[in-house]
Amino acid sequence: MDSSSPPLPAPTDLTATWNFLENGIEHIMNRLEEGLSYKRYMDLYTGIYNYCTSSRMNPGFTSEPLAGPGANLSNNRGANLMGSDLYQNLQRYLERYLHTIRENSTHHMDENLLRYYTKHWEKYTTASSYVHHVFRYLNRHWVKREIDEGRKTVYDVYTLTLVSWRDYMFMHVERHVMAAVLKLIERQRNGESVETGLVKSVVESFVALGLDDADSTKSTLDVYKEHFQKPFVEASEVYYKAESEKFVSENSVTEYMKKAEARLREEENRVKLYLHQSTHKPLISTCETVLVKNHTDIMWDEFQNLLNLDKMDDLNRMYSLLSRITDGLEPLRTRFEEHVRKAGLNAIEKVADQVNDNMEPKIYVDALLEVHSKYNDMVTTAFRGEAGFVASLDKACREFVNRNKVCKASTSKSPELLARFCDSLLRKSSKNPEENDLEDVLNNIMTVFKYVEDKDVFQKFYSKMLAKRLVNGTSASEDAESSMISKLKEACGFEYTSKLQRMFTDMGLSKDLNDQFKERTSMEANEQVDFSVLVLGTASWPLQPSTTNFNIPEELERTFQRFKMFYQNKHSGRKLNWLFHLSKGELKANYCHLSKTGYTFQVSTYQMGILLQYNKDLSYTFDDLKQSTDLNADVLIGALGTLVKAKVLELSEGTEVGDPTSRYELNTEFKSKKVRIQLNLPVKSEQKVEVEETHKTVEEDRKLLMQAAIVRIMKTRKTLKHTALVTEVIAQLSNRFKPKIPDIKKCIDVLLEKEYIERVEGQKDMFSYRA
Amino acid sequence: MYFYKIDVGETDQSIPLPNVNEKVLRKVLEWCEHHVNDPQPTNDDDDSRRRNTEIDDWDQRFLNVEQDMLFEIILAANYLDIKPLLDIGCKTVANMIKGKSPEEIRSTFNIVNDFTPEEEEQIRKENEWAEDR
Repeated sequence: MDSSSPPLPAPTDLTATWNFLENGIEHIMNRLEEGLSYKRYMDLYTGIYNYCTSSRMNPGFTSEPLAGPGANLSNNRGANLMGSDLYQNLQRYLERYLHTIRENSTHHMDENLLRYYTKHWEKYTTASSYVHHVFRYLNRHWVKREIDEGRKTVYDVYTLTLVSWRDYMFMHVERHVMAAVLKLIERQRNGESVETGLVKSVVESFVALGLDDADSTKSTLDVYKEHFQKPFVEASEVYYKAESEKFVSENSVTEYMKKAEARLREEENRVKLYLHQSTHKPLISTCETVLVKNHTDIMWDEFQNLLNLDKMDDLNRMYSLLSRITDGLEPLRTRFEEHVRKAGLNAIEKVADQVNDNMEPKIYVDALLEVHSKYNDMVTTAFRGEAGFVASLDKACREFVNRNKVCKASTSKSPELLARFCDSLLRKSSKNPEENDLEDVLNNIMTVFKYVEDKDVFQKFYSKMLAKRLVNGTSASEDAESSMISKLKEACGFEYTSKLQRMFTDMGLSKDLNDQFKERTSMEANEQVDFSVLVLGTASWPLQPSTTNFNIPEELERTFQRFKMFYQNKHSGRKLNWLFHLSKGELKANYCHLSKTGYTFQVSTYQMGILLQYNKDLSYTFDDLKQSTDLNADVLIGALGTLVKAKVLELSEGTEVGDPTSRYELNTEFKSKKVRIQLNLPVKSEQKVEVEETHKTVEEDRKLLMQAAIVRIMKTRKTLKHTALVTEVIAQLSNRFKPKIPDIKKCIDVLLEKEYIERVEGQKDMFSYRA
Repeated sequence: MYFYKIDVGETDQSIPLPNVNEKVLRKVLEWCEHHVNDPQPTNDDDDSRRRNTEIDDWDQRFLNVEQDMLFEIILAANYLDIKPLLDIGCKTVANMIKGKSPEEIRSTFNIVNDFTPEEEEQIRKENEWAEDR
């Protein structure tokens, strides 16, 4: 407590007033730690108040050399404001005070200089805020008036103290201070631990000195940017340029990446710890240039090695470094794409070697998936799922899924194998996976499916095989079937699966139909044949009509006719085509005297037709059978073949099944360990023909799809240029298959001929739609 | 001189106010206590408050004091930097001047006319633009 405050001076006496004030200011600036009593504070305030208000008390007193519009007023104008003298005296005092501090600073160097500078800065600004408050009356009136009248060189008192520091202290010492700061930071970068608080204080000081000349109440970062940030960023650039070049020449690229990553993290922390946040961008972008951009070539070169060795961590590091700079990743993406494509091709080549022409679908699909999942993992972990790498992966996968050693020239091999794999999973079999596993496998299939270009080929094979599963009742699980269909629907839209869904509906309807039929026949009684039929819409089912005639065995004739009647009654006008080549039945054989119970033969309807002949006689020639069944020779040979092979029939004359002279006898000595014997086996040659036919129908369907697309497009566009039309057709069909341009041209020609579209006269390559 | 104890942070030292006497300070404090819950004025308010001459009833009654006291309150408000009080004080004085001739004003505030007739004519000329016509 300071009670020795001198008495208040006379309000009109400038010299006495200033002496009184200077005494107090001196105390605040130099000995604030001793305290400042309220009385002293109020006395200083009152001294200033008294002086500033004194002119009104004494209108004759006008020593104020006021610039501005008020200056030429006569002395009896009461609104004259006093204060200019005090302001100027304060300004001169600050200059003297700072001069001393500046002089003394020359005794200090480096860290000591920083300590000196920051110590005085902190002391000065604290004291200044007190002085500012003491001069509050001056700020409120005289200073405010001056600023309102546009005087640029008058500031409120606190700003005045900052301006003074800037002009009399900072401008003279900033070079030395910055040199010391840069030295300190360099020592820290070299691994020494340093007093970072000093730098933080210097930064704060430089930021505080950024005063907006146009408006002193606003601050700018100009001083900090010019005097701190600029030299600091330049020094950083020099430092890291030298360091990185040296390090690269002495260490491996992977080591260098670790170093660069650590350095970048360090610099980011440096900004957070003791720099102004605005430095983040220029500093980091400079470091990125020096540490990353200047060394991109060696990183790009190293990339292939890291890929070959599956170095996830290093790949991730390289990704994050190169993602910092523009165009850093593009070369990686191209190389990655090439690498994945090769990996895919190699994987296929390996499995293709083992099993030459007859590719096992599971092995094939698994090989594709393995490559995909490996690199998909790499994209998500090492490349953080970045869109560019995802695109590269997709591109590479699309390549090796559609064009590889197994596919050879045709892109339709992959969808075929994929559909076969689906069939093997969805068909009843001892190897069916568990329900949960199955779902996973189906999802994996969809992953490959996404890359298949000829989705229409998949659709063809899939629906064929689905039809078989349904007709033969070999589908493993209805849930799995519908799950797969909904996945396909999701991927390709409603239209893609509508036929597949129709097939399920037909199955349901047929079940009801059979129930109704059974009910009817049981009332009419003496029906002995257990009979069921599937009524399937021709449009939805990919089933070929039979290539042969067939006489229905008389044992079945009655039931057959009865069902026909029943159906016609229900739906008059519908035509039933009977697909006997897909039908099957069971025969109970009681003639085998080596078995007590007899055997049950599971046979095709054709085989049934043959075997039922033997109810009348035990031996027939080939021609006899051909006549009685009305089957054509090929089919008959096929059916007989399995029966002879299974020793149900015996070839008694002729050397080979199908010889015109051959004769077949019922083997009454037939013997088997099983009670039920499966004789309805597919014939190999038939299968191959079927595959070829399927591929052929795909070609036909594509023509129709392209024509439909062209008509759709032309209907909406009315007129369109040839090239634009082709592009749109390709775009529309891309989720089904990749149309070839010559094929599209052919389709356009067909449509011109059919007069759906016409050429616009006088304009080259322009078509218009004909309504 | 009046010492008034107020709670300033952690200290209970008294703050001397050499320029305000007890009677006036009491008046100022009375005003402050009445307005203690007023909303903090913003810059926009500042302008509009100055532009009109309305003074609320309580403040009018409060400033209905002898002229000497009124001036003392205004001075204290300026010294203590109590802006709203300063404003209504000045408004009160302005209302006292409004609509009065120079002679009436002189008598209201007890001012001796020390202008010469020439000076008076000069001032009238300079301020002609402001007169009602």
